[in-house]
Amino acid sequence: MNSEKLESLSLEALYALAEKMGLDLPVGLERLFVVEEILDALVEDSEDRRAARDEAVHVDEKKYSGSELDELDAAIDDLPPLEARYNETMIRALVRDPSWAFAYWDLSDAERAALTGVDSESPLFLRVVELNPEGDETKHEHFDIPVSIDDLQWYINLPHSAMRFRIDLCSRKNGSAGSRLRVLARSNTVVSPRQELQPGPDVLDSSAARPLQLARIGYLRIQRSEPDNPLRITPPGMEFQPGEAS
Amino acid sequence: MANGQLALVLNAHQPFVRHPEYPRFLEERWFFEALSETYLPLLRLFRRLEADSVPFRLTLTLSPTLLSMLGDALLGERYLSYLDNQQRLAASEESRLGSDSVFAPVVRVYSELYRQDRDDFDTLYSRDVLGAFDYFYKKGRIELITSGATHAFLPMYVDCPEAVSAQIETAIVAHRRAFGKHPSGFWLPQLGWHPALADALRAYNVQYTIVTTRSALLGSPTPRRGSFAPVQCPNGLTVFVRDAEATKAVWSESEGYPADAVYRDFYRDIGFDLPLDYLGPFLEEKDARIYTGFKYWAVTGQTADKLPYDPAAAAARAKEHAAHFLAARVAAAQETSALMDRPPLMVCPYDAELFGHWWFEGTLWLESLFRQAVGGALDVVTLGEYQRTQPRSQVSLPEFSSWGDGGYAEVWLDGSNDWIYRHTFKAAERMTELAERFPDESGLRERILNQAAREVLLAMCSDWSLLMRAGRASAFARRQVEDAVANFGKIYDMLCSNTVGTEWLTRLEKRNNIFPALNYRIFRKKR
Repeated sequence: MNSEKLESLSLEALYALAEKMGLDLPVGLERLFVVEEILDALVEDSEDRRAARDEAVHVDEKKYSGSELDELDAAIDDLPPLEARYNETMIRALVRDPSWAFAYWDLSDAERAALTGVDSESPLFLRVVELNPEGDETKHEHFDIPVSIDDLQWYINLPHSAMRFRIDLCSRKNGSAGSRLRVLARSNTVVSPRQELQPGPDVLDSSAARPLQLARIGYLRIQRSEPDNPLRITPPGMEFQPGEAS
Repeated sequence: MANGQLALVLNAHQPFVRHPEYPRFLEERWFFEALSETYLPLLRLFRRLEADSVPFRLTLTLSPTLLSMLGDALLGERYLSYLDNQQRLAASEESRLGSDSVFAPVVRVYSELYRQDRDDFDTLYSRDVLGAFDYFYKKGRIELITSGATHAFLPMYVDCPEAVSAQIETAIVAHRRAFGKHPSGFWLPQLGWHPALADALRAYNVQYTIVTTRSALLGSPTPRRGSFAPVQCPNGLTVFVRDAEATKAVWSESEGYPADAVYRDFYRDIGFDLPLDYLGPFLEEKDARIYTGFKYWAVTGQTADKLPYDPAAAAARAKEHAAHFLAARVAAAQETSALMDRPPLMVCPYDAELFGHWWFEGTLWLESLFRQAVGGALDVVTLGEYQRTQPRSQVSLPEFSSWGDGGYAEVWLDGSNDWIYRHTFKAAERMTELAERFPDESGLRERILNQAAREVLLAMCSDWSLLMRAGRASAFARRQVEDAVANFGKIYDMLCSNTVGTEWLTRLEKRNNIFPALNYRIFRKKR
């Protein structure tokens, strides 16, 4: 690590950097010790990453062999972020994996002004609407996630995989006639990926079992579709072995 | 008779990094290092195999951004400066270690590498590296395919079909422009597949693509041949399946071949070992340590006490590993072939830069593999060859997946990089709006619309989100997205207010000169 670069920073900047890295340093430490703590943490962080799981993308990073300033610059160089808003009321959903989706949204200035100060509690919430898997817009189930007026994005834990859903950005206004719900924006419809085999007729007979095993189906922790199996993620050692299933 | 077929697929890709506004630019070294350690050594390998009449077959992606950089005169000029520097450092190292019986032979490996690179690049190919690849393409030894224009992680954009089509169409146009042929195959950036991409690819007459084992096995219905044969989407697109075992043997950082103790250690570099006083004249910034490419130690093991690198021992091990790899594939083929109605196919896709750049002996391994495969139990084929001989496969639609951590989109959608989608989606939507508003522009307005389209594509590059998540060059990566989005925003505002800053536009066109044949109308609404 580049101690020269660190030593060129003011003590205040070093403390700010340490805080950003999650280091809890006692107040009043001498510069030398602050630099040492930061360097140690950077080395440790780098080793942690090296020891992380072996996936293709880790190797992919090797082609970007930069300088030792990379990590440091990333921490120090706090560019002003892009304007996060486009003054429109909208919401978009993106699927990350079978268990998580991501939504980002915005409110126009006018909408925001109308909602601010409506209530002591935030009037906003996300309604995650599970849709009919057959493709029409019939609602199946839904659940709500309260969000604050300042939130602009959220990661949503999905109750199950292969779920077709959309997310509504909603407000609730309490009045004399009771609570009034308004859908401010409706997201695109998305489907979370499935995690279970979709065997067609005769696919899992004995002649297909071995090729599937050799394709490392166990290693990928993919399981056979079982309507009564509540687990979405198979625990290690419990993977479905084609040909062994009853 | 062969028991099975083996298809090696390499994805050669670099994100677009080109900064003429600076005399030297650190991140341009990514491209120079890949040229020196992977692309030119690969071409030497092809020449050696051809000279020895070894019938090698390889499917190779040259990504559109890489095509652009390989054909760029400024980067070519700068590459020669890079080689000057590497050769000066090699000479200095030979003086320093000339009498050292252990390290002098290692230094000579690098001296020879950079000398050959210069000879090939400047003299043999007259800086036309694309022409060198095209030679083997035309001879049928390699099959060149394309990839997303700027390596966008396409599953994120399936709800914005204009953006997906723009990535595909721009790539195909760039490929045709470089090689005069329509690419049969399309490498999905990060092997990011989504069922909605099937129609988008077929719309551009793409014949085949490749997905992860997870994508295929979770497809509907489950492919009965596992990963040992492609599947066919209902619309006819052939989808090859990555062989998980073959992948692990090479990719795994802890168990794969590159982790072998005798191979060259990637991390230990004189850029971090020698005094700055000595290194200064060879560094981009004289007080900033960088990977110089001069690495003298072997992997050795999980220890800081590395053993000196022995090139001869490493070369011998690469041959052993090639034999081991082939034997494992033959064993799998033998076991599977009895259960199948056709010879099993094993598709082995890797990043090209793994070979030579990270795994220094990787190109030797590859060469040895081709040589040892001659007359053996496996036919080595390109994906296109396979598809032509086996045009029909089981109909199945693979599931969304990628080759990143976790198998889905975790790498490209997490707390470090999720902010980009608000901007890239908005830019793509606005680009479609502009293309609809100005469908028949020419002259200056057409130029500015084309530049706007370039900036949208550049902002979508998945390498930047990968680097943000990895914490490597993340400030630089963030700046690339922010710059592209800001450039697009400025153009959008100009067009909305009907004012064009010609001087600024010209500067931007010169800097981000990628895809000269780009037509902004690719962003028009898909009807």
